[in-house]
Amino acid sequence: MQLLDRIEARRFVGREFLLFLWFESELFEGTLSTVAHGSFGFWIERRIVLSAGKEVTQIKGAYPAGSREAKESLQRGKLPELAGIHVSLREHEMNFVLKADTLALSGLSLAAVLDGGAEEEGAGLPPAELLGPPQRKKKGPARGESDAAHEAFYDRMQRTRELEELLEALYRDFLALRLGPAWEAFVEPMLKTWCAGDEGTELDSDGYREKRENALGGKKRR
Amino acid sequence: MPALRGSLTYARFFVEGELPEDFQDRSMRAIRLRAMKPLEPDEEALERSGWCAIGEPFELELGHENVFYNEFVNLGFRTDRWVIPGPMMRAKMKEAEAAYLQKKGREKLSKREKTELKELVARKLRKQLSPSMSVVDLSWSLNDGIVRFFSLSPRKAALMMELFQKCFPVKLVPEAPYTLAARLGLSKAEERTWEELTPTLLGIGDLA
Repeated sequence: MQLLDRIEARRFVGREFLLFLWFESELFEGTLSTVAHGSFGFWIERRIVLSAGKEVTQIKGAYPAGSREAKESLQRGKLPELAGIHVSLREHEMNFVLKADTLALSGLSLAAVLDGGAEEEGAGLPPAELLGPPQRKKKGPARGESDAAHEAFYDRMQRTRELEELLEALYRDFLALRLGPAWEAFVEPMLKTWCAGDEGTELDSDGYREKRENALGGKKRR
Repeated sequence: MPALRGSLTYARFFVEGELPEDFQDRSMRAIRLRAMKPLEPDEEALERSGWCAIGEPFELELGHENVFYNEFVNLGFRTDRWVIPGPMMRAKMKEAEAAYLQKKGREKLSKREKTELKELVARKLRKQLSPSMSVVDLSWSLNDGIVRFFSLSPRKAALMMELFQKCFPVKLVPEAPYTLAARLGLSKAEERTWEELTPTLLGIGDLA
């Protein structure tokens, strides 16, 4: 099988990964953890799109994944295609949309550190229509300006990398569970119970956490 | 969505292959060779892509200082394309057809004459218009072996990959659940399950 065929044949794993993140963030009340990162805030917000074939359900709101419609879509066989996600890692708050089929990020907003103070990205920039037609810049911006731009770029890339590492760690944990005996033994049954969402059904999050940690090598998370 | 400011929207590509020792010098030559050459109205090409400085679509004289940011290779991927609005083309074509037929004293154009006339009209209109331009930032982290391409358009990604692989002696692999799993590494047992993996069925009426 060619690489492109293999890529296409495993797109569904991205959707299962997003479903798994949604499930665990709900089960653990918006606090996930990895061995490398410890605990951090992680929840779905603003928007979730679920689909199967041509059938698409889009839900918007402060907590779209908590709506009855979202669970009903799962029960009808739809899986999350994309979701708005909030991550709270150490002192950083990040929002972005995760696209399940490609694992691409869109609309990732980071707080920029410029001139020694925190500043929200995009703040203070004039609207595009006020900037006028594009002009060829004189060669070589002022050195201070150039250094500040480079510093801002390194800062953005550093934080982007941190988020990517977090998502990769989550994906690695997911793969360890998905591709091991844990999936059939307790993850899938728990997912199905959660998905069915019957009122009065209490999910044993502590029991799940313990089994999960054992399956991932018994590494205790903070 | 640019790399340098604002919110970030991007696709990742994993870089496969070893970089040569004289990578920076060789790369600069290859990058300069494939720097954007703006379209001219009289040339045959209707679309062209090339490199520009990141964040500076009109900066086409690329030097080490505006490409290498420590361990990053930063470039703008610029694509120019002639776009003639349909109504404008139709109106000018109608005028040109009428003038041609009157000059020749005929009532109808042959297919070939129509094609030639269309090309002539398009060339004339291109002299009055500017090509449409799109620019996508690209940042290659040499330490991580990751290219971040700040667009999610598959067409732009395909064009970028073509230019990138002409320029650099490495292979680009798009990120996807499959390729990320391969990059993170699976055990033998996981690989066996991975090869046979089928979707989890959760619902009572699975549509997939």
